[in-house]
Amino acid sequence: MTPTHAIATLILGFVAGYLGQRSRLCFVSGYRDVVLTRDTTLLRGVLAAFGGALLGYVAFGRLGGFLPGFPMLHESIADQALPWVFAVVGGLGLGAVGMLAGGCPFRMHVLASEGRQGALFYLVGFYIGMVFFNIVLTPVFMRLGLPL
Amino acid sequence: MKLTHVKVTPFWAGLVLGVGAALVQAYFNVFPPVANGFCMICHPRDFFDWIANRLVGVDWPVSLVSTIYPLMTVVGVVAGAVFAAWRNKELRFRRVNGWWKYVIYGFLSINFGLLLAGCPIRIVLLSAYGSPIGFVGWASVAVGATLMTLIVRWWQRRAVSTGGDAR
Repeated sequence: MTPTHAIATLILGFVAGYLGQRSRLCFVSGYRDVVLTRDTTLLRGVLAAFGGALLGYVAFGRLGGFLPGFPMLHESIADQALPWVFAVVGGLGLGAVGMLAGGCPFRMHVLASEGRQGALFYLVGFYIGMVFFNIVLTPVFMRLGLPL
Repeated sequence: MKLTHVKVTPFWAGLVLGVGAALVQAYFNVFPPVANGFCMICHPRDFFDWIANRLVGVDWPVSLVSTIYPLMTVVGVVAGAVFAAWRNKELRFRRVNGWWKYVIYGFLSINFGLLLAGCPIRIVLLSAYGSPIGFVGWASVAVGATLMTLIVRWWQRRAVSTGGDAR
């Protein structure tokens, strides 16, 4: 197996990091700006990502790209209730905490790369939290038979 | 025209990110799971766990795509952002008060993100892939951020009106 995917994600990450630093792109702050100042600049970035991805999936699918199950409109609550609950709880929490922190995880990685001390401490908590999830929460979910 | 003079708007950055994420799944095997071309929760987790599994000998979960080689998104993002900040003379250390709050925010973010199975970007990609769970997750992120904004605004207005400290 060749590391194609590793190199591809490295390049995409570099481009995203560069553009994210220049544009202040954030997938949480857009909602805050709309509420506080009616400024839709950041929200347009979120919608553009949705549009770009949709366009890409449709176009690359027609050009023979590997997109299994697209469009996946067949998920139902009856089939898998827990992922829906996790999506609501996780989404509400991530949105609320992201607003308090000042950005989504992508934005916080970019801010840490610029030298913001707050974002650097955010990343400390981020990676400690990752260890916590692996050691504490994953075994609990597995013991309860919950899908993650 | 110099690259530094080009104004990059969030719209164009988002568009490139969306198309790029679709491209890496379609032609560069960033799969499974689907719509996982770019994620700042799952990809850093895979990268971190992949290294920990090899260095420390633990058996932490990585997605199937990261079994042999890890996804390098987080390395690319940091490198790209450092390069952009350095190129535009914005690379400098800036202090902040209340650093411990940020540690807690980071801790909570990764745990909520792993519960959601993605960051707000991946949820948007999943929605574009047509996943109803993606749309529910996206709506939840929007509602969570909006509600917290309203709570903070109410808290600060209340503090101003009572002459107290909003912190």
